[in-house]
Amino acid sequence: MTLIPTAEYTAPDVPEGRKFYPGDGEHTTYGHTTQISDVVIKAGGEDRDRPSEAKDTPLGHLRAKLTTIQDQVNVFLTERMKQENLKLSGKEEEDIERRILDDGVDEDDVE
Amino acid sequence: MTVDLDKYAKPGKGYYIALGLEGSANKLGVGVIKHNLGQLSTTNRAEVLSNIRDTYITPPGEGFLPRDTARHHRNWVVRVIKKALIEAKIKGTDIDCICFTQGPGMGAPLQSVVVAARTLAQLWDLPLVGVNHCVGHIEMGREITGADNPVVLYVSGGNTQVIAYSKQRYRIFGETLDIAIGNCLDRFARTLKIPNEPAPGYNIEQMAKKGKHLVNLPYTVKGMDLSMSGILAHVEGLAKDMFGKQNKKLVDVESGEPITAEDLCFSLQEILFSMLVEITERAIAHVNSNQVLIVGGVGSNERLQEMMKLMIQDRKNGQIYATDERFCIDNGIMIAHAGLLGYRTGQTNELWNTICTQRFRTDEVFVKWRDD
Repeated sequence: MTLIPTAEYTAPDVPEGRKFYPGDGEHTTYGHTTQISDVVIKAGGEDRDRPSEAKDTPLGHLRAKLTTIQDQVNVFLTERMKQENLKLSGKEEEDIERRILDDGVDEDDVE
Repeated sequence: MTVDLDKYAKPGKGYYIALGLEGSANKLGVGVIKHNLGQLSTTNRAEVLSNIRDTYITPPGEGFLPRDTARHHRNWVVRVIKKALIEAKIKGTDIDCICFTQGPGMGAPLQSVVVAARTLAQLWDLPLVGVNHCVGHIEMGREITGADNPVVLYVSGGNTQVIAYSKQRYRIFGETLDIAIGNCLDRFARTLKIPNEPAPGYNIEQMAKKGKHLVNLPYTVKGMDLSMSGILAHVEGLAKDMFGKQNKKLVDVESGEPITAEDLCFSLQEILFSMLVEITERAIAHVNSNQVLIVGGVGSNERLQEMMKLMIQDRKNGQIYATDERFCIDNGIMIAHAGLLGYRTGQTNELWNTICTQRFRTDEVFVKWRDD
């Protein structure tokens, strides 16, 4: 029996949705987006909380594939957040530019 | 009138078993508790079948970040649950309900643990019971010590409250206005680079035992409430002067002897605990009680227990109740116990209503299982 996890993301600005599949390749339970923080390692800590390795069973393989999907989703959502932040900071810059150009006159002040 | 705790009992079954999952801070706890039918009493005590805990420990000088704490809980929860079930000698099908901490606490760790609770509930087709972390401490403290209706001092890394029961609510009489006492002690431990293992507060307690000079620190009781951030800033300033670049030597005014890190730990404890004793004594006078129950991680501090005992002994028939670290420090069994009391009075959560919250005040809980 082979169990294959999938994930689907939809949002108002992503009407076509986005699907995630683990794909072929080696899957492990050690995801690259779910590792211990650098700050802990730099402070001399060690990673005692690594996930247990996947067993060679259908459920074990499912765990490993699920970790791959989790990485894909984390990367996708982080990228989306970055884009959102960029859009917001762009707006702020535009706003500052407008205020400079308008010489400190806010819209609220305009009758 | 006594509340009927067996209204929802399964026909033909003489007992209840609950699994409790706790993960609101850096402790991941899983406990299994058994209640026999009937009222809990001195002859019908709740039975602890297992109480397993695993703590996320950080290097000296570092606090625990939500992301890494949540990761610890995620990666250990299955192993800890398995251990708890084995020790309790039960199977999933023996359980009546799955109880989990719904708040208050750190968002990401709470979230990690509730996912495990939801999964088990669906796997074994069991009801979920969301538990207020503070109420878990109170109910477990009452059960273990036999304290009937005490004024509760709840002192931990995230909470500092003086609580008394009235009309099916645990009412908050006084609390911190800023940081919790455990947070104050932990942060001072970080300043001094005291190890976080087994616990920063425990290590401060051991150092304080060697301190002998009382350093003058602010004392900030405000009515029934208290404030600790200013005291922390003050003592941190002294520590930085003494052990930082300035390497300033402080001496005791009376003896002329040098002030040590141990003296700072001793002084911080003495001042903070005196403040706690003062507001607790005032609450006791308000509700005309003569029992104090200390719960929460800081409650395992022997000096705090000693100071509280001195105060309560001056009252007629005054009694102090405290538990050891198995029940004081965050654990799964208290969540199982309080959750099972809720379950026995019909309080369960539908799946959609299992969202955790970082803010969940003690007095928001309707204590349906008490009517005294």
